Formats: sequence, structure tokens, C-alpha cells
Amino acid sequence: MADEQNPPAAPPPSGPARTWPPVADRALLGKPIRRIDGPDKSQGKAKYTYDIVRPGMLYGRLLSSPHPYAVVKSIDVTPALKVPGVKAAIALKDPAGPTAKIWYQGEEVAAVAATTEEAAEDAVRAIKVEYEILPALATVEQSMSANAPVNFPKGNVSAERLTLRPDKADVEAALKASAHIVEGTYSTQVQTHTSLETHGGICEWNGEKLTAWVSTQAVHATRDGLSRALQMQQSDVHVITDYMGGGFGSKLGPDVQVVIAAKLAKEAGAPVKLMLTRKEEHLITGNRPSAYAKVKAGVDAQGKLTAFDAETWGTGGAGQGAGFNIPYPVYAFGVLRQRHKDVFINAGPQRAMRAPGHPQACFITEVVVDELADRLRMDPLELRMRNLPPAGPDGQDLPTQQWRKYFPMAADKIGWSRRHATADTGSGPIKRGMGCAANRWAGGGSNRTRAACEILPDGGVVMRIGTQDIGTGTRTLVAMITAETMGLPLTAVKAAIGDSEYPWAPGSGGSTTVGSISPTVRIAAENARDALFAKVAPSLRVEPAALVAKDGRVQVKDNPAKGMTWKEACRLLGVQPISADGAWQQGLSSSGTSGVQFADVEVDIETGITRVKRVVCVQDCGMIVDRITAESQVYGGIIMGIGFALFEHRILDRNTAKMVNPNMEFYLLPGMSDIPEIDITLIDQPERGPVGLGEPPTISTAAAIANAIANATGARVRSLPLTPAAVLAALHEERSGGTR
Amino acid sequence: MKAFAYVNAANEKEAIAALGPERGRMLPLAGGMDLLALMKDYVAQPERLVNVKNLDRTVAKTPDGGLRIGAAVTLAALAQHADVRRLYPALAEAAAEVGTPQIRNVGTLGGNLNQRPRCWYFRNEEFPCLKKGGARCFAVDGENQFHAIFGDGPCHIVHPSSLAVPAIALGARFRIVGPAGEREVTAADYYVMPDRNLYGETVLAPNELLTHVILPAPGTAKSATYEVRFKQSHDWPLAMASVALVMNGQTITSARVVMGAVAPVPWRAEGAEAALAGKRISEATATAAADAAVKGAKPMTQNGYKVQIAHTAVKRAILKAGGIAVV
Repeated sequence: MADEQNPPAAPPPSGPARTWPPVADRALLGKPIRRIDGPDKSQGKAKYTYDIVRPGMLYGRLLSSPHPYAVVKSIDVTPALKVPGVKAAIALKDPAGPTAKIWYQGEEVAAVAATTEEAAEDAVRAIKVEYEILPALATVEQSMSANAPVNFPKGNVSAERLTLRPDKADVEAALKASAHIVEGTYSTQVQTHTSLETHGGICEWNGEKLTAWVSTQAVHATRDGLSRALQMQQSDVHVITDYMGGGFGSKLGPDVQVVIAAKLAKEAGAPVKLMLTRKEEHLITGNRPSAYAKVKAGVDAQGKLTAFDAETWGTGGAGQGAGFNIPYPVYAFGVLRQRHKDVFINAGPQRAMRAPGHPQACFITEVVVDELADRLRMDPLELRMRNLPPAGPDGQDLPTQQWRKYFPMAADKIGWSRRHATADTGSGPIKRGMGCAANRWAGGGSNRTRAACEILPDGGVVMRIGTQDIGTGTRTLVAMITAETMGLPLTAVKAAIGDSEYPWAPGSGGSTTVGSISPTVRIAAENARDALFAKVAPSLRVEPAALVAKDGRVQVKDNPAKGMTWKEACRLLGVQPISADGAWQQGLSSSGTSGVQFADVEVDIETGITRVKRVVCVQDCGMIVDRITAESQVYGGIIMGIGFALFEHRILDRNTAKMVNPNMEFYLLPGMSDIPEIDITLIDQPERGPVGLGEPPTISTAAAIANAIANATGARVRSLPLTPAAVLAALHEERSGGTR
Repeated sequence: MKAFAYVNAANEKEAIAALGPERGRMLPLAGGMDLLALMKDYVAQPERLVNVKNLDRTVAKTPDGGLRIGAAVTLAALAQHADVRRLYPALAEAAAEVGTPQIRNVGTLGGNLNQRPRCWYFRNEEFPCLKKGGARCFAVDGENQFHAIFGDGPCHIVHPSSLAVPAIALGARFRIVGPAGEREVTAADYYVMPDRNLYGETVLAPNELLTHVILPAPGTAKSATYEVRFKQSHDWPLAMASVALVMNGQTITSARVVMGAVAPVPWRAEGAEAALAGKRISEATATAAADAAVKGAKPMTQNGYKVQIAHTAVKRAILKAGGIAVV
């Protein structure tokens, strides 16, 4: 997380200075542009990996371990091969080797490929596996208990990591000197990514060459991963992702199931499609780790935060870490200390999930801040404003730390002045309340990003870049930037993405896609356009630098009548298209965002049920490229944040460590009717260039909702999700002595 | 799912002939909302499905002023039917809240009344629970936040049908056909506790079909259903209640109060019924009845909160029947 919050300095610029067109001249950038593939998606014409059917294709299926902790003693796949339609069956565990151990439910044991999905399912059920079932660890409490079996090679609990800032700060003395102290235990649950399109792909061999259609957020990393796993030349692997149905950090490589599909396809001599089931998706494709924190925090009588001391732990499943940094670095605590341990349990390992570590850290910190405000009897917004990082020497806040501006804006929008100080004392069981929280994210871009632009003699323009559209609208952004640079309408350019044979671009993770591709596409388009200008200039008897491309014409900047249409200009190319590359340069994008969210909720104190009525968000993301897709990111982030706040929860049976809700029936997600009015104010910072926005909007939602529930009810819930059971328990505790 | 044979029954006789006496081998298929999911999860593995969508789906008036409803009627049609809404608000309200519009457009009355429990141990083939012929109920010392707060087990499911609850409150009778002819049982007698039928939830034999729901004339009864769900749509109730209050002017002469999602069967609250008799509908009366309704609840390790929610459901169903704003 340190990397996300403190991005390394970008390398110095390596080419001519580049700029975005002046705001007044922009035809597309910053405007609300509908995504170009929207009609294809809504009509079912856009084919996702899940939809693709290849000639002669077989269906792959995994046999997943039903046991969370076990040793595979034997596997016999021969009964599967006797099922009609089965073309391949392979064991994935070696009972005699180091892979015999099963560490979590759902681990892959064997796989088959068959002519139908039904035959494949029958076949995996026919495989005979003998397991030695071992006692599994299902909870952090079990793993941490003194008499627990030690299920992991390095122990059930990692060594303690200590963070102490400022150096050697005397946290205990600072706490002792504080006017008020808040002490409590806070926690957040394990959340699964629950991508609507499950993980998987189709693998098709042509001799020793492999084509893989994969639901991935990283076509290049998937190509590299497949070539490594299959010991092939990278040039022999071709990965295609035209459309993909969500990843949220869980689809950054080929993953086991695509490697298995390639092996099955080789064995069967036919293309194999292997998409995970919803149950497997919950069990084996990653999750947001849980977080627990025993916190002691202080404030002085004037409302200056003094100290924050935390003992933290959490689980990322079998052998995986669960790090998060608290206090969340928005407010300036005088001194702070965090002692963290990772706890391992027999459950699917964590993966990066939309703003890793941030929603957990934000929830814990922002709830503590609210509780400190309660101790002071101070408006929690006022306490926040008093403890924002100090402004710079010029009196201005950093462009990446604009909370001092955003908090009052959002407060005004939600009507914070009408907020009651303590619990809603109105009659009736429905209590209303408001809460708020802040967020930050780094984003940035990869200086290794490349793109290639072609201008064809018939006037066509193709921009090729090996990025992929994880659902954020990347394809639309590539087309917009290209069209803007060429002075063409959006429909006149083709954005070619989602292919490992296009120039390298990073995986869509860390909110770095827009910061990587925007400068690179701009530069490739400028290079191509300038090459066209060089071709056209002699016939207009001007210097190439005197030309502009605007409104479908190539014309002299100071004399627009002197010029020709874009098509006429391209005709001068004869038979040879222009081909120009672009390499990322510094200066066209930035890193660092800040934002705030406020929630207005109703809590039914007779049922414990919370309804979020309204979420107000003020968020920046540098220069806005497409206002519609940017707002879509914020809507999606807030809806996911509501899921984290109220509903989503991976529940493991405490006695067996098996997940009891590996479905979308009891793994609750917000439905349409659970989504409140969402009021978004995006702050445009055109001078900064684009900054990624995929992650920040999901960070603060749960914290704001939790604080709003406390404001509504007077009872404090310190753990997520904020279920009816949790809210009713807090109300009960409040009535019998207090949750504060 | 396991491969199966399919019989398209044109009428009751053909349907009964295609079913068999052994549990689980031949199953009737109506909307399939529950059954197909059970089959995909390998919890049900029938050899033959018998399509009963062609059976009666009409809503007909009976001579005494009640309704006789064919079990193949969809939940959407039931919820929208003018006579059902006018005479039996408790039933129409429950039908309107099931699942999602898609589920209500396909799911049927008979399917809803006969659906299997949603218990996550029962629904998962990896847990050989009591109801599936295993040795123990995994909910007892496991994850029981959605399980029963009434009944003493040994299986701690909650009955999933939200139409069974108003059916009992409204005094419905179910027409059943089988190889030996037809019979009628009251809705209340139709559902049985695990000690009487562990592997099913009703008195229906494997070769019988529930074909009609017969509702008596409501007379002066005011009825209502109140469901408490966490999500506003596409979620199961944490608890619910249906009430039918027979009125003499402003006074309740007799009442039926039934709670749902709290026990292995729809749970009649006779204490609440006694508390309502002779009273006027008011916040105080409703609260007293709700107190009586949850008296004797025995929550498990993690579902104590459901007692409060059941209490709220009963109170609000009574107030709703009386036309009093509930929140």
C-alpha cells in the first residue's frame, strides 16, 4: 500500500514536450461521451469470453476439492474417460509429490474436457479421489488460539510487523496526555470480487502455437504467464480479450484454469473452454482480506488528534497476507504506531481487490475519528477539518489533497447543517442520520506503455494498444483521444485493444490504465498526424508545423480556408499507410486523487435494517477524459461500497471451513432497489492530465454509512457488514450501558 | 445436473400416472424456480420430471363466496388478480414480494407452497445433513443466523414458503390428488415438523399433487402480510407474519396470526391470537400480541436477533391489517 500512497517519481521526459489541446479547443475530451461499444453490449453483439464458441470446441470442468485441508492420497481419472463425450481427463495433484496437500476448499484436483457441459460435469463426478481429511482452520480466532493445530509451514500467524511514525514516537505518553481517548476493536469481513463473468478462457492450439481468449484484465501478463507455465516462446502465445465482465483485481494473469484449459486442449486435440462455476469463483479467485484492529486513539481538548496506537491482524486465507495501514493517511495524528500480524486460515487466498487495504483502513480510521468527535461533543466534520494535513508554504493544499475544499462542498450538498448532533430523537422506529469519510489513491501510469497508430490511404485511422477494457470504458477513451488528435469524429477511428499482439500496455490494475494509455495514445496519434502533415504540407506550400487537423480537415492554422478534407489529405499517401509509434511520456498524466463521501441513511430500529437514502460524492481524477464513463466508475465504486458496508460477507462454516454461501443467494449484493440516489460531483483538473478513478470511489462508502448509522441510532457498530443482527446488537448494548 | 426423462402431463390423471411412490425419483415440474436449482446443485437427482404446468391455473369463485385457485397459477398472476387482492390482501401481498419479477412470472402457487428449504447446509451436497439422510444438523453449532427460532429440531430449517403463511392465516384448504383419488387438508395440517417428516416438509406423498388452494369467504376478516427483508428485492425474509382478524365493528372477535421464516413450518402464534380477541386494533394491542407471539422462542447461537424481527413483523402485520401506518 505504501507504493500506492507514495508513488515513485516518474522518470524525466524523453521526447518533445507534449500537451493536451487547450480546453476551449476540445471537441471530445472532457465531454459526456457514450461508450462506443454500448449498443453492441446492450444488443448482445459484443462477445465476451463466456459467449465465444470455437469450431469443435470442448467444455472443460474442474474437479475442486470439497475439503479445505486434506492430503490427496490417490486420483483415478479413468472412470471419467469412460463417460460418453469425454475427450480428456487429467490429474492436477500428484499424490506422491509436494502438490498432494490441499490448503483450501475449491483447490483444483483434476480436470476434464467433453463435448458438452453436462458430460464434463458427469465426468468430474466420476473421478475417484481418496483424501485424508485434516482438521481445517476456519477463523482467525481458531488459528490464533494456543491449542490450534499448526496448519501452515511458517505457523498460523506471521511475525509482527511494526510501523512507528514519526520515528521512535512515544505513543503511550502522547495517549496519556490526551484529553479524550477512544478504545475499541474494529473489524471488516472477507469480501469476494464476484465478477459477473467468472474467470476462464478458451484455448486453441494450431501446431505449437496457442490462441487463448481469456477473461482477463491483463492480456500481456496473461500471455507471459501462459508461456511460462507451458514452457513456450512468448511469440507463440496469442491472448485476446475483446470484452470482459469485471475483474476488480482478480484477473491479472492466466490463472490456473486457463493453463489447465491449454493442457486439456493439447490432450484432446480440440479447443477447450473452461469457465469457472459461480461456486468456484467465490472459493478460488481471490478476495479482500479481513481486517481487525484493536485501537487506542486520542485527541486534545482543542480537537487536535494526538496519537493512534493499533494492534492489527487479518486473514488473506491460506498463506496470504492481509496488510492494511492505519490510521488511514488523511488526518494528521501526532504520533502513531501499528503492530500487524497476518493470520492464515484454510480458505481461498486473497488477491488485489479494488483499492487493496484502503476500504478496511478507511472504515476503521473514520469510525475512530467520529468517536473522538463524540467524546469532544464536536461536529465530526469540524474535527476532520481541524486535522487535515497542513497546507504547503504557499498556503495551498496539494492538488492530490483537496479534502479541505471537498468536505464543505459535499456537506452543503447533503444538507449537513440539518444533521442532528446525536441520535435521531424523532418518534417512530425509522431513524435518520448522516456520516462522512475521505479517501485518497495514487493511480499514475506506466512509462513502459506503447501504442501504434496507422493512417490509411482511404482516411481510416486505427489505434492499436495492448490494453483491455475491464469495463471502465477504455476502448472509448482510446477512440476519443485518437479522434480528438486527428480532428475527426469518434466514429472515424478504430480503437484496437484487447490483444497481446498489440504494443505493450500494463494490466488494468491500481487505477493506472488511464494514466498509462492516455499519454501514449495521444503521442502515437500526434506522431501519425504529424507524418501526414509532412506529406500534405508541400502540396499546400506551407511548413508542416503550420497545419492543424480540425473538423475533418487538414488546414493551415491561421488560414482555415487553405486546406483539404481529411480524406483528400490521406489520398496523398498513395498505397502506403502512415505507421507511427507512441511511447509514454511524463507530463500528460498525473497521479494522486482525493475525494470525500457523505451518506444519508434510515435505520429501522425495530428490525436493524439500514436503507441508504443518498450518497454524495465529491471526487477528483485529474483531467476528465469522458465524463460519462468517469461518472460510471464512481457509481460502480459506491454501489460496491454499499455492498461492502451492508451485505457482502464470505461466510465459512466454523466447524469445517467450507463456505456456506458460495452463490449469489446468500452472498448478498446490492440489487437495483438497494441502490440509493447517488450525487456525484467530479472535479475537473485539466492542468494535471488524467488520473485513474477505478478504485478511489469505493474506499469511503462503508465508513460514511457506518458513521451515518451511529448518527441515526446513537449506537455504534464497529464491524462490517452492518447487518440487522449487528445493528440490533449495538442498539441493545447502547440501551444497556452504551456502545460509546 | 443428472440426466432425466421428461413427461408432459396433459391433465391430473396423466400427471399422477407419471409420478411414483418412491421419494425423489419422479418429481413434478411447474415453474422450476426451486427444482431446477436443486437439481443443478445435485441435491435433487430425479430420474423423471413430470410437467404439471398444463394443470388448472384458474381463479374461480366458490358458491360460498370464496376462491378456488389452480396451483399452476403464476405468482405474478396471483398477485395481480383483482379478487385475490380484494378478498385476501395477505395472500396478494405475500405473492407480490416473492423473489423478483422474473421469478414471479414463472414461479407458481403450487411450486411456492411446496418448495424445499433454503438452509445452506441442506442445499450443499457436501454437507450430509439430517434432512438428506445424514447423522446431524450442521446448523446446531455452525452458521445458524438464518435458522429457526421455534421448534426443537432435530432439523432447524425455516420453511421457505411465504404463501404458506397467509394460506394458514386465511384458513385455506389444499386439494390433493393421488392414485386413490382426491382429498382435502387444511393448510395448517399440510405442513409438518421434522419429527413427522424429516425428508420432506408436508403430508404430500411422492405420488400425490397439490392441485388447488381453496379459500373460504373472508367475511369480516381483515388480513395483511408483513415481510422483513434485508435487501429490498430478491432476498428471503428474515421473518414475516400474516394475520387475519375477524372483526365485529371495531373489535377483533377472533384472529389468526402466523409467522414465517421462524420455524420448520409456518408458525401459528396462538398466544397472539388470544391476546387480540376482544380488542381493538391499536399499537398497544399489536405490541401485546407480538410479545405473546415470540414468547417461547428458542433462538440458536447466532439468530437471537430474529426474535426481535419476528416481533416487529407480527406487530406491523396487525397494524397493516387495521389500516394503520406501520412505520
